[in-house]
Amino acid sequence: MNPLNKIIFLSAFLASGFLLILLSCALYNSYKPLWVILIFLLAPLPNILAQAIENSRDDFLTFNNNEGDRPSPFLEFCKSFTGFLIVSGIALPLTFYHTGLIELGSMVMSIIGGLIVYGDIIVFIWFFSENEEENDDFNF
Amino acid sequence: MDQSNHLFKFNASLFKLPKSAKLRAFGVYLAGALYAIGFWLIIDAAIFSKTVNASVVHVTFVDWIPFICSLLGMLIVNLIEKSNLFSDSNNSFLSNGTNPNAWAARVILFFGFSLLAGGLAGSFMVLILKFLLKHYSFPTLGMGVSNIVCNLCIMLSCIVLWLSQNIEDEYSYSLAL
Repeated sequence: MNPLNKIIFLSAFLASGFLLILLSCALYNSYKPLWVILIFLLAPLPNILAQAIENSRDDFLTFNNNEGDRPSPFLEFCKSFTGFLIVSGIALPLTFYHTGLIELGSMVMSIIGGLIVYGDIIVFIWFFSENEEENDDFNF
Repeated sequence: MDQSNHLFKFNASLFKLPKSAKLRAFGVYLAGALYAIGFWLIIDAAIFSKTVNASVVHVTFVDWIPFICSLLGMLIVNLIEKSNLFSDSNNSFLSNGTNPNAWAARVILFFGFSLLAGGLAGSFMVLILKFLLKHYSFPTLGMGVSNIVCNLCIMLSCIVLWLSQNIEDEYSYSLAL
């Protein structure tokens, strides 16, 4: 599968996720589920930040690696914060439905839409890093 | 006798956790997820009391106290440096004096665990004194129950995080050059 097809399919999925969330707001005339978009867009961010920091830290030549191969506390905090954000994205529409602020259909549509958006971003990062490793033959 | 190091008759090394980095990462994700469940349960109870609540009972600051206790306890337990806890004065090889940080770390850890347990006990007390003794029926009682489940989830999250941080990495070559 060439990269162009991947990008087209992924953008179509991303658009359908956004469409579901926007429909869940517009059909029921209550714009509270829009927060789900923000939460699921923020959810992959801690892991990206942690990876960038871990890659930029060169601990082999500076002799600062006195903890072996153990992941740093910041990395673990980012991981647990990712778990917190994913469950928050699902729990926010559930809370809104339970407290009577949005309807049942709005809840289901916003949860499915949010999960599509998040899965799409994760798959995009996965494809992207896979391509990077394939082309990494000559520049060490 | 090499058995004299064990505290109990069973060999405790049989119950060691499996070593893998993926299990450790999964445990950390699970801890964050459990914490989110607890957090959203108490937020849900507060919004429920404000919007669709048909009774005269409302969530006040008293209901938040157990949550705050659990939160402080979880912070303390997970911020402590664990290498201080197990450094005994007897078998430390390089420094033959007592480690001055060890007893302080143990006291602070004890405070953390008692704050966690106090949060759970406090949520039970709120349920009994505020809801059960006045014979409220279920939609009102749900606010107290979700308070208990919230504190249970935060305690479980703390336990999962503690256990998964004790998992050693499978390929932990220590590059001590």
